Amino acid sequence: MASAGDTILDAPARAAPREPAWYPYLLIAPAMLMLVVVSLVPFLYAIWLSFHEAKFGRVKDFVGFDNYLTLLTDGRFWNSIGVAATFVFIAVPIEFMLGLAGALVLNQNVRGRSLLIPLLFMPAMMAPIVVGLLWKIMLAGSWGFFSYNVLERFHILTDTSVFASPDLALYALIFVDIWQWTPFMMLAFFAGLQALPLGPYRAAAVDGANPFQMFLHITLPLMTPLLAVIGLLRFIDAFKVFDTIYILTNGGPGTSTETPSILANKMTFEFWNIGEASALAVLVWIAFFAFCSVFYQVAKKRLNAF
Amino acid sequence: MAEITERSRGRSGLFWTAAVVVYALIVLFPIFWMATMMVKPNDAMFARPTQWLFTPTLDHFAYVIEQGFHWSLLTSFVLCTVSTALVVLIGTPAAYAFARFEMKGKDDLFLFILGSRMAPPVCLVIPFYLIYAKVGLLDSFLGLTLAYMTFNLSFYVWVLRSFCRDLPVELEEAAALEGWSRVQIFRRVVFPLLRNGIVATAVLCFIFAWNEFLFAFMLGGSSVTTLPVSIPKLITSQGVRWGEMAVVGMTALVPVLAVVFVLQRHIVRGLTLGAVKG
Repeated sequence: MASAGDTILDAPARAAPREPAWYPYLLIAPAMLMLVVVSLVPFLYAIWLSFHEAKFGRVKDFVGFDNYLTLLTDGRFWNSIGVAATFVFIAVPIEFMLGLAGALVLNQNVRGRSLLIPLLFMPAMMAPIVVGLLWKIMLAGSWGFFSYNVLERFHILTDTSVFASPDLALYALIFVDIWQWTPFMMLAFFAGLQALPLGPYRAAAVDGANPFQMFLHITLPLMTPLLAVIGLLRFIDAFKVFDTIYILTNGGPGTSTETPSILANKMTFEFWNIGEASALAVLVWIAFFAFCSVFYQVAKKRLNAF
Repeated sequence: MAEITERSRGRSGLFWTAAVVVYALIVLFPIFWMATMMVKPNDAMFARPTQWLFTPTLDHFAYVIEQGFHWSLLTSFVLCTVSTALVVLIGTPAAYAFARFEMKGKDDLFLFILGSRMAPPVCLVIPFYLIYAKVGLLDSFLGLTLAYMTFNLSFYVWVLRSFCRDLPVELEEAAALEGWSRVQIFRRVVFPLLRNGIVATAVLCFIFAWNEFLFAFMLGGSSVTTLPVSIPKLITSQGVRWGEMAVVGMTALVPVLAVVFVLQRHIVRGLTLGAVKG
């Protein structure tokens, strides 16, 4: 694994200034046109829809901000924000801490990394729908391997699936997310650790620093930008989890696991209230774009990555 | 760390290795369990307490083939290959241009690309569905191929650009001094050096398309059914077909298993959008 955030090639590299000024634009034109069609047009269309009354596939009158007002006064919307916040603020910090601890362990004199590392990439690379399926099997009511051998044995829950319990379903989803993403966090942080310079550690060893001091005063400060970028990215991704929740609970029981993504999907394809669903989509989109630009700034300035 | 002797390093290495192996086994256990369910008869599946030994059966495979799931497999494969090829074709020049040239508003264009990558799929699928319903692209090959461009083309341009920037610019300058044209330089100098990056990024795109569920579920239909979409279809009104779901699920894992071993160090780079050079 090479270095994290190397800066050697960061200067804008301009080779052979012989082409006319429009040449680079020609190169990016097909890709940018495609992205305008598949990304900008749908976004603008969603904005347009969100200002109209649109139900059951029929777009009717212009209604101004009515859809937004209905949405913002709807308890179900705020519930979905709360669910997503609980999900993200429990799952991501746990994944982060466990991932960092795991990376430090992996950075010891561990043998067989060439076999272990690919295997630990599996959960992150699997289809989320298959992750959902795995845990649907493991946590199926009464006969699921985990349900029977852990939950029932320790009298946490008997006979039904955790996903049918309004109190526990969300935590079960958080558990699944932690299962899926901790190994990846571990490997990403490990890649960062492998790229740290050895010099400071040699100097500290000469000064008689113990491993804990080295971690606190050398590893942590050097790793901070990388930790921030990976944490932020996971944070953004955790907000938009859809597939696993869809197959495991689809927002239920009741609305106890209904995230904005699940709610928007239900509004569109179950209630056919397209105007309000678009308003929700636009709000979520804007929030994401704000997160994205923070991610971009941090990665660019602190990590010199882009 | 210098004073630690080789012997104690060896012993602690064994301890940490054991710790990581145990963790990996715990993480992989659900996958192993699903694999056994492919050949597990139903009565053993629902047994309480958990039954470890059973006579294997091929019933689940028979049902899956009877229902024509191999067509979903073929659909998935063709769709992912075509959309990835298109991404490589139009994404490569763009990534190269972004890495090598100064352009006006480059930062904004870049943020736009990042934005299309990060947008929650649910937000996109609503307008996509309505537009496709109007222009008749629902349940069509072309429709899904285009929809996959939103996340894969932006991903490809973004990540490949970071590979392009790792190439030493001096080689291209030298070739330019020789009087080579830009196309020649790209074909003979840049492409050979960039090939690994292109392959790694394209393979990741393939996997993202392979794993994609929501677009395929909402914009596809009876004529274009991908493998992930066929999984929830096995939750039928006559009950859940667990064994069959396990078969389809494991089939979906095959390319993933191949990819984790082949790509290894590029995965971190890909999943962190090039921020960490794994």
